[in-house]
Amino acid sequence: MTTPGTLAALSVGARARVIEVGGDERLQQRLLELGVLPGIELKVVRTAPLGDPLEVQVMGYSLSLRRSEAEVVRIEALSE
Amino acid sequence: MSSQPSAVRTPAESVGVFALLGNPNTGKSTLFGALTGVRQKVANFPGVTVEAKLGQRTTARGSSTFIDLPGTYSLAARSPDERVALQALLGRLEGIPAPHGVLIVVDATSLDRNLYLASQVLELDLPAVVALTMVDVAERRGIEIDVEQLSEALGAPVVPVNAPRGEGLEELVAALEAVAEQARPPLVISYAEELRHAVDTVLAELESGAERLGWTPCRSDALRLVVDGDGPFLSEVEERLGGDFLSRYRSIRESASQERAPSLIEAQARYGQIALWSRGCRRVTEQTGTTWTERIDGVLTHKLWGSLTFVVVMGLLFQSIFAWSSPLMDGIESLFGALGGWIGAGLPEGPLRGLLVDGIIGGVGGVVVFLPQILILFCFIAVLEDLGYMTRAAFLMDNLMAKFSLSGRSFIPLLSSFACAVPGIMGARVIEDRATRLTTIFLAPFMSCSARLPVYTLMIGAFVPARTVWGFLELQGIVLFAMYFVGIAAAVPTAWLVQRFWLKGHRSAFLLELPSYKMPRIKAVALTLWQRGGAFVRRAGTIILAVSIVVWALAYFPRSETVLERFETSREQARETYRSSLATSVQELGLPGREGDPETVMEETAAAESDQADRARVRLKAARDNLDGRLVQLDGDEQGELLATSYLGRAGRLIEPIVEPLGWDWRIGMATLASFPAREVIVATLGTIFHLSDVDEESESLRDVLRDAKRPDGGPLFTLATGLSVMIFFALCAQCAATLATMRRETASWRWPLLSFAYMTSLAYLAAFAVYQIARAAES
Repeated sequence: MTTPGTLAALSVGARARVIEVGGDERLQQRLLELGVLPGIELKVVRTAPLGDPLEVQVMGYSLSLRRSEAEVVRIEALSE
Repeated sequence: MSSQPSAVRTPAESVGVFALLGNPNTGKSTLFGALTGVRQKVANFPGVTVEAKLGQRTTARGSSTFIDLPGTYSLAARSPDERVALQALLGRLEGIPAPHGVLIVVDATSLDRNLYLASQVLELDLPAVVALTMVDVAERRGIEIDVEQLSEALGAPVVPVNAPRGEGLEELVAALEAVAEQARPPLVISYAEELRHAVDTVLAELESGAERLGWTPCRSDALRLVVDGDGPFLSEVEERLGGDFLSRYRSIRESASQERAPSLIEAQARYGQIALWSRGCRRVTEQTGTTWTERIDGVLTHKLWGSLTFVVVMGLLFQSIFAWSSPLMDGIESLFGALGGWIGAGLPEGPLRGLLVDGIIGGVGGVVVFLPQILILFCFIAVLEDLGYMTRAAFLMDNLMAKFSLSGRSFIPLLSSFACAVPGIMGARVIEDRATRLTTIFLAPFMSCSARLPVYTLMIGAFVPARTVWGFLELQGIVLFAMYFVGIAAAVPTAWLVQRFWLKGHRSAFLLELPSYKMPRIKAVALTLWQRGGAFVRRAGTIILAVSIVVWALAYFPRSETVLERFETSREQARETYRSSLATSVQELGLPGREGDPETVMEETAAAESDQADRARVRLKAARDNLDGRLVQLDGDEQGELLATSYLGRAGRLIEPIVEPLGWDWRIGMATLASFPAREVIVATLGTIFHLSDVDEESESLRDVLRDAKRPDGGPLFTLATGLSVMIFFALCAQCAATLATMRRETASWRWPLLSFAYMTSLAYLAAFAVYQIARAAES
């Protein structure tokens, strides 16, 4: 199950802007350091063949993260 | 001349010591290789699993030392491994010279994320130069960077480099040498008031305790403490400054985190600053079309094609370490065998020969034989890593591995462990997350390696009936498969246990950058192989050699004089029998020269051409065969008895009550003890104790002997239950000195190998006990 309004629920090809990054301190800090922070735009490129993890385009590079990790990133979807 | 040792271990004409720091996949190691050449030294740090490389570069002005620090995205220190970077930069690591300057490696294709780490480094009071890599790739993607603007913004020289082509290296070194001589005002990032205040307060606390800390605190120390919270750094400071500091620290951090998490404040301030910088120096023209990496990824991470490619690549990998390495392994084995034979032939029977041939050559040879597997595997891994495929493989497998609290990065190390756990454990280096890496290392020996195969082959061949079940399945094959499965089945709950109890509070994280595909660099791959292979051989030459010698000595000493004398008498008797049988032949054939030595008479007669000579030849051959057979048998019996009376044999009897519930007797117990350095040794030891010379797992005679072996009460020693119990034990035990030594090196502590040995031995014992009792109940 994925929570609507999070990065985990975003479909492949969709773009979104980050609103908030939650999660436990470590995960939150790592995501922030890697450029997933409020105000940043990102795009879901694909999911792995087994459905998880996701590949996300952010700050000009490809970041792979699990759905459970993407759950802590609250986003607003952007239309094309 | 002063005899004072210099504080920093660098050559006298040294120009400086420079650390290389950067994100992973930035081409940092390539740059390091281009700067220093192939003569590198690997430095390990106590308590952490990462390593740094040291190299030298000679310029017109003298020699400079370069330190290649592990790739990282941030100076944050949440685990001991991550703590290394900041400590090394500040010159606080033992064995690593304090840097005079830092070379920050920045990838032009993802400038913003790379500048995050750069901005942290620039906050330090340390001369710095930025090396800008991948400029050509960035340009192809429409990203242009104004180097001068960037340099001005950062307050440090920026030098574009292309390490594979050697471009920009001279400029880089010149810039480093120039900045090392002048102070640079540290970068000031404007953090939100609450964070700045907290950093100031913590810094004041640190400064007041500077004497107890043993180092001079700086703003970055305070920033890391406030932002990173609990971690190795905080524990270290608390240990020196005490609980008073800790409670004041907690309240400072508490008040700084009321509105936003300190990590959010730091990241927003930093990326805010970075956005200003890159706005001034970067021009992006929208590119039409897709990049090479995107096109390749379209195939390699595709649901169908990606999975297919993955299966083929892993199949090749597995095939190569299993099958392709076997001619090389056979070659090494026969080389060591020949060496042992050659040295053995030149030495008289005695402890020296035993030590050299069985202890040293046999012991080291038994480990060096794994070198081809290690090199082939590392060649594969290095090429795939360089290519960028390793991260894709992790991406593909993560979902599966996550079910076992591992990550996609664990897959290849564990797969390789089916060939040998040693390269598997070494391969776990690619896993950034410390807890996942330690779990993977702990699980590697559970995968059934090729050294267990001889044990399985022997036991299955001897005790599992060769019949088919359900019409088409070979029972022996099923049992062999089950043995492979046992390891995996045991690894699953073990992964849970390890993370639940020994790596408390850990949640396996993935968060992996998928870098652009690149062509592998042959020189770098070769260098990796050289370093890894060298490390393994050195280990075989030290700790593994020591263990082999100890086990050999325990099996060799004390040479029981009574046994030796008794067998010498028996040998003399055999020769006497031989001579008297020849004398009888001389009599019966009515040969001339009856007074002479019967053997000479027989030989002379046999050399001629006559009916008599034919008969003499037949009789002589029969007598000689008889003698040879008897002598071989005596040798075997003698070896067996000497082994039984050796310290190892006595230890076997001592532990007999312990191994009895497994269905074993003292001989199996002793053979198990002897196979501590390497599992497959049990085959040879069983051969010796059951009085056979020259055996291997295919040897029919050893199978027969094992089938015929009796207990003191006359019942058969081995039944199917005992055979299964031995196999299960060897499937799960940690009887491999090379694995334990590798674990010690890769985890930088004895804690993990000792834990692994204790855990696996207990597990193996319990499983063997359960299997024996159940199988015996089923038999009766």
